[in-house]
Amino acid sequence: MADRYLEVVEPDDNVATALRELEAGETVAVAVGDEERTVEVSEDVVFGHKIAIEDIADGETITKYGKSIGNATEDIPAGTWVHVHNVESNYGRGDLADGEQTAAVSE
Amino acid sequence: MSEFLGYERDDGSVGIRNHVAIISTAPYANDTVERAAEIVENTVPITHPLGRCQTKPDVFQTYRTLLGYGTHPNVYGTVVVAHAGEIVDGDELASDVAETGRPSDSVNIHGEKGVMNALQRTVNSAREMVQEASDQRRVPADMSNLTFGINCATSDTTSGLCQHKATARAAWRLIDDYDGRACFAETPEFFGGEHELAERAVDEETKQEILDRVEHWDQRLQATGYDVRGAQPTPDNMDGGLTTIEEKSLGALVKSGDGPIQDIVDYGAQIPDDSGMYIMDTPGHGAESVTGIGAGGAHFMVISTGQGHTLSNAIMPTIKITGNPGSAERVPEQTDVDVSEALVGDQSFDWASDQLWDEIEDVVNGKLTMSEAMGESQFAIHRIGPST
Repeated sequence: MADRYLEVVEPDDNVATALRELEAGETVAVAVGDEERTVEVSEDVVFGHKIAIEDIADGETITKYGKSIGNATEDIPAGTWVHVHNVESNYGRGDLADGEQTAAVSE
Repeated sequence: MSEFLGYERDDGSVGIRNHVAIISTAPYANDTVERAAEIVENTVPITHPLGRCQTKPDVFQTYRTLLGYGTHPNVYGTVVVAHAGEIVDGDELASDVAETGRPSDSVNIHGEKGVMNALQRTVNSAREMVQEASDQRRVPADMSNLTFGINCATSDTTSGLCQHKATARAAWRLIDDYDGRACFAETPEFFGGEHELAERAVDEETKQEILDRVEHWDQRLQATGYDVRGAQPTPDNMDGGLTTIEEKSLGALVKSGDGPIQDIVDYGAQIPDDSGMYIMDTPGHGAESVTGIGAGGAHFMVISTGQGHTLSNAIMPTIKITGNPGSAERVPEQTDVDVSEALVGDQSFDWASDQLWDEIEDVVNGKLTMSEAMGESQFAIHRIGPST
């Protein structure tokens, strides 16, 4: 039976939110829509943080709520902790904006 | 309950509190306002660093925000204190307050020939208003009078999975069952969910306006030359598991439910009278968004929080709800309603919404919120451009 403390919001999400602490090495059963998927947790994950529920390649979209929450900045195998160290946003990226746009306010 | 007990105003609004506001129009009147509020019981000082040497877009925004507080349904009367001749004009503000039938006075520190005279006059006016206000009784009023403010605070991954669902259901209960209205805000926290949100607009114009305002915020943030991460999401959001602004936003939007959006209004502007769900265009900065929604006339606000927050407002009571198990114990005075049993226990989201609704009914009838009992409040008007 799927672990109720791992929440996948929409069936096409590739991450699950941990509603309990996860330990490296444990095997968890995750409900994904009507299906159930087994994932090996590869590192400790604290309450509220996310794990990949499938292999995600560098640059691929991270999907939660059925929508993009950013892109992977490295390969993220299933069971890996997904957070700021391996995901980047596509909004508010002044660091990627062109010079003309930032000239008015840059230091 | 289809009625609540409130304070009737001459302009037709009905308050759930009966405050006397003492409003500063510029930094140089703040001390006088704070001193007067220390002397006169049951007054609310409203101070800020704005109102002088501002460009016009900020002048308009500051003015309408202060006017929103001077004429708030929960305000009985207002004393405006100005320093000298200011671009945010104290006499004009007091006059606009008086037009709503509320007692109002305008005090100018230079005009009174000094701080001590100004303080005395402010105290005298505020004292008279407080005594009159204390003599007004609550009377039955229809629930349709009420406007429900919605904001999030110290969000984490529980926010979008639990407490925001309860908040949305309660807000739509006021709209659908009682013909009331609700307003949420924090435009940068639509990033990533803006297209689905815009589809909820009642007309094409509002749909485009939502998309344009989101794009404008992204342009503003890009113009800084830096990655916004750290400001959005904040370090406490990231500690709570939120990775990007998109993830925070998709969770944040859950608190508005999925019903139609009537309109998107400017920061601090009046929330329209017609029943329904509205958006106010504000930053995600909690003190600024809450201040804006309060100026818009929301009677109370539900602050849907993950890890707890002191975020509050002295004129518009704030009800804090959390679904993070443990937050209620960690920060008890920042939790009015704990619905974590709907996330990790066996309770439903309808149960969670009922818990919140019961608290709302109590608060609109006079029960003090945690923040009110603790005497907590912040006031921060969002600024657009430079000082000059």
